[in-house]
Amino acid sequence: MAEAVALLAEFGDEAKVLAGGQSLVPMLNLRLARPGHLIDIARIPSLRGVQEDGDGLRIGAVTTQRDIERSELVARKYPLLSEAIRHIAHPPIRVRGTVGGSLSHADPAAELPAVAVLLDAELTVVSKRGQRVIPAQDFFVSFLTSALAPDEMLTEIRLPAWPSDATWAFSEVSRRHGDFALAGVAAIVERDNSTVTGARIALFGVGATPLRTPDAEAIAVGKTIGDDLWRDVAASAAAALDPPSDLHGSSAYRKHLAEVLTLRALQSAAAR
Amino acid sequence: MQKEHSIRLTVNSIHRDASVEARRTLADFLRIDLGLTGTHLGCEHGVCGACTVLVNGEPVRSCLMFAVQADGTEITTVEGVAPGDGNMAPIQEGFWRATSFQCGYCAPGFVIVGEALLRENPDPSEEQIREAISGNLCRCTGYQSIVEGIQRGAKIARGEEA
Amino acid sequence: MVQRFTGTRVKRVEDPRLLTGRSRFVDDISLPGMLYAAFVRSTVPHARIASIDAAAAREMPGIVAVYVGADLPEHANPLMLQPVEGLKTPAFYALAHEKVRFVGEPVAMVVAESRYQAEDACDSIYVEYEPLPPVTDMEAAIRPDSAVLFDELGDNVMYHSEAKYGDLDAAFAGADRVITEKISQHRYANVPMEGHAGLSSFDPSMGELVHYSSHQGPHMLRFGLSFLLRLPLNNVRVLCGDVGGAFGSKGYFHREEIMTAFASMRLGKPVKWAADRNENLLAGGQTREESAVVEAAVKNDGTLLGLRVKLIVDQGAYQCVPYPTIVFPLLARALMPSAYRITNFEFHITMAATNKAPYIAYRGPWEIETFLRERLWDILAVELGLDPVEIRRKNLWENQELPRPLATGAAILKNLTVRECLDQAVAAIDYPGFRQEQERARAQGRYLGLGISCFMEPAPQPIFGIGFDFVRSETATVQLEPDGGVTVFTAQAPHGQGHETTIAQVCADGMGVSMSQVKVIHGDTRVVPFTNIGTGASRGATMPIGAALGALRIIKDRVLRIAGHMLETAPEDLQIVNGVVSPIGGGDRSVSLFEIAIVAYTAPFTLPPGTDTEMKATYTFDYEGAWAQSCHAALVEVDTGTGKVEIKRYVVVEDCGEPIHPAIVDGQICGGIAQGIGAVLYEKSAYDEDGQYLAGTFMDYLLPTSMEVPHIEIHHIIPETDEEIPHHGVGEGGLIGSPACVVNAIEDALRPLGVKIREQYLPPARILELIGSIK
Repeated sequence: MAEAVALLAEFGDEAKVLAGGQSLVPMLNLRLARPGHLIDIARIPSLRGVQEDGDGLRIGAVTTQRDIERSELVARKYPLLSEAIRHIAHPPIRVRGTVGGSLSHADPAAELPAVAVLLDAELTVVSKRGQRVIPAQDFFVSFLTSALAPDEMLTEIRLPAWPSDATWAFSEVSRRHGDFALAGVAAIVERDNSTVTGARIALFGVGATPLRTPDAEAIAVGKTIGDDLWRDVAASAAAALDPPSDLHGSSAYRKHLAEVLTLRALQSAAAR
Repeated sequence: MQKEHSIRLTVNSIHRDASVEARRTLADFLRIDLGLTGTHLGCEHGVCGACTVLVNGEPVRSCLMFAVQADGTEITTVEGVAPGDGNMAPIQEGFWRATSFQCGYCAPGFVIVGEALLRENPDPSEEQIREAISGNLCRCTGYQSIVEGIQRGAKIARGEEA
Repeated sequence: MVQRFTGTRVKRVEDPRLLTGRSRFVDDISLPGMLYAAFVRSTVPHARIASIDAAAAREMPGIVAVYVGADLPEHANPLMLQPVEGLKTPAFYALAHEKVRFVGEPVAMVVAESRYQAEDACDSIYVEYEPLPPVTDMEAAIRPDSAVLFDELGDNVMYHSEAKYGDLDAAFAGADRVITEKISQHRYANVPMEGHAGLSSFDPSMGELVHYSSHQGPHMLRFGLSFLLRLPLNNVRVLCGDVGGAFGSKGYFHREEIMTAFASMRLGKPVKWAADRNENLLAGGQTREESAVVEAAVKNDGTLLGLRVKLIVDQGAYQCVPYPTIVFPLLARALMPSAYRITNFEFHITMAATNKAPYIAYRGPWEIETFLRERLWDILAVELGLDPVEIRRKNLWENQELPRPLATGAAILKNLTVRECLDQAVAAIDYPGFRQEQERARAQGRYLGLGISCFMEPAPQPIFGIGFDFVRSETATVQLEPDGGVTVFTAQAPHGQGHETTIAQVCADGMGVSMSQVKVIHGDTRVVPFTNIGTGASRGATMPIGAALGALRIIKDRVLRIAGHMLETAPEDLQIVNGVVSPIGGGDRSVSLFEIAIVAYTAPFTLPPGTDTEMKATYTFDYEGAWAQSCHAALVEVDTGTGKVEIKRYVVVEDCGEPIHPAIVDGQICGGIAQGIGAVLYEKSAYDEDGQYLAGTFMDYLLPTSMEVPHIEIHHIIPETDEEIPHHGVGEGGLIGSPACVVNAIEDALRPLGVKIREQYLPPARILELIGSIK
């Protein structure tokens, strides 16, 4: 780790951190990124692994997505994460791709950044200058831009305790199986019988970063579970959106899709 | 002149020492430096799966890995899947019996992914097969003959078909 | 002929090498001293080239040479089509010379010791462009105020013709209604898993060029290299080994391959180039961008009295040599009436040049005729309040009305089975049951739809009246080896069709030997017979087989005469079984093909004078033609919240005669349908309005995966026949019928929402726009 950090300090802008390479290497192959140096951290043992941390969980940045997929601990404590990870591309990508790599790449259409903001994860970041912890919502700054300074690297992700009495849903729509999401939603509904005591909704693919929807979440709290409520919540979640347009979908399409998916997700969470 | 890195790895059970540039992809190392041209390049950005090899038993896109990252690993390419006694591995025999392929350019990737699937799940359903191969593109077949090939390969591996 | 192998699912001869990594595609070949080529490609759609600065590139490590367009005229001829009546045929060089006309056009070529170094050098070559207005829309391209791609031509109208058949005035006068629709299809591409590739090796001491290629017409490529590089033909040899798919894209004189040969001749070393995926998507050729205004004169009962079609084709920037794009709309015109009673017919063709990649052949390149016609039946059915199956039945020829020529005079219609295909497809999909299910689903807010598509495919069929007739004959050579083995030299150039297997199946049965005794040789121009079309045009089930069997018959005749002498029996009383000649009906006397061949080769003088002992024969097979006929039916569900389409069932009823190898035949059908599903739901070669190309990687050009292609149910109709070769082509049909079928199904599903579809590309966002959920 010390060596990695020192190299990052030395080369800064000229260097890129390499873990799984599943996001970075395509860009190199296409000659869209041309770092002078790659700092390979994939074999730093302290950066890989999943551990309980009280009621929470610590995930080393270099833990592969496949490790998460196969983790009984994650399946038991954070079933939403277990489900979300299966939507990432295809198994050979997940064999190499890392949790930290996906988060650092900060693609707003990716699954893990959305799960991180949904769960209010805390990201530990290290440089020669020291260590700091960045809340997930502050970590994703813009399209493919994280809060990492050029000499910093992500070392660990801490997930707070999974809320009790919570049901969840995760879904995305993509052009084909395994593609980046046109729009996606991760949702948690906390309930006391038929009353909502807490709601969290994270949307991805619909902005420059993954988005929580505090106004929509606020609408749900204290209300009775039902389709009418979910429709209002979904409408509110989508109303604030100004998604990008690209070859795969217009802004209007993504906005509409976000509302449809949010509604369906809340219905499915409530039915669990 | 790019700096060269020394690597040691095992490829199809043969130990190899080599010296490679940092940017040499594993795919190019296998194809050009080792002459193992069975692994194919279909896109070089990790989507088509034609370059898939086994790294320490797991399927990996060799176009998205640098040779230096393979230092100390065991690699199996399509050339190394058969048991070495002149017979084909069950997955290959299954593909052959089912007439799974046409031009064959994508076949090595499917052999590797199929082999990995059967190691993990010796009796996959059609749905599981389609999901497992969804990261490999084929332009000739429409996939159903490949699905059938994996089903046949599974049967052969389980001893249900001679 | 006893059939042991024909009609069975033998294990393919090709597969052991393909499955164990021993295949040899062009990029797998390594020659001593081999160099690698990379191309600098235009980043602008339309411009004059002001200057190219390669000075820095030439000094970089490993760089051997840099070539630009200006280097060519001294040593090479320009590419240009043979004259075609009414077609403008501008000449152009393999590298852009003076002007660039599409994003991705090759402008300079670097030759280096490694591919990595070659691409490094490309980054250091600076091209200064003087941009010109981009021409990106085919309708705008033909207007007088458009910028012009080829200054010498004055405009971008490369071809225009208007053809009339029958009496349209009477048809339109007698109609209850004239329904006019504009229907279009978008630009997409073949995208084989292996892109174009060539390895040229010129030996200056012999003046000989050996060129390895990923190609489907080795003899034509040899022609092209010889002519364009001014080499005598007998000093040019083309070798096609394993080819990773083509679907029509690999029959041309490819510009980059001309350049590898050019470079090899200058440098005296082998030069290799294999397209990467970005190059393939950008510059490997695109297809199918066409738009038509269709006017249908109909009676209220659904009878189609007359049809007028005005088609515009977006040719892209350059023509593809040697097969002109114009052939495809001419074929569309020739074939459009199909199996239906369409005798009053008018067809206009306008072909426009635009600043896009060239329009090349793609599996059934005349498909627009089926798309327009089969979409039209559904559109008319809705307009007239009729059932889409019934309107087709009403308009299909009855067999008692045949034989008769197509209205266009292109061919004779006979032995039609389209009606039977339609009937069987409708039964297989349980049409009445589906309509009930559809109603129930609508009540629940679910949208199910059913689409049908009927068509005929020339398989192969000479088409008259379009000026191209290269399908009518094929030559093969058969040799009986001294050890009794049979070697077949075929003109085919397979790239997935399994000809090493299918030809061996039929020849093994034809000769009376086992398949392991038959070897099929293809792709080496030094030994295979000449053809001006290699593999394509759905000829591979019929033409090489007829030719090989003809040559085999000659050999067999000679063999049996020699055996007759050796066994003192009349040749007509002899049979060959398992490589052994013996009297029909038994007896203990026999002689093996090996023994016969050895005598013929080494001791012919021991046979009676005048015995023909030549063990090699060549035969040219002429074929009057056949059709493959088919009906596709698809059942879809559209999620009107997300716009996603699920194909729940896909049924094909196919008459392609007797399958030589059922799995190979069905594989062709499935592959074509997968491409049709891709075309409608996933694939677009997208340009923006400035002519920039947008879909340059597999993240943006989406091929369907195993999760997007459903299981396809295939039923075969195999009519009784006494044809010599009862096997008909089937390679293109899957992609001819499927786009109309899928679009019909989607429109059927969304009809209650008032949706009308007049296009072919239907990604989820577009579906929601059509429904009106979004703008």
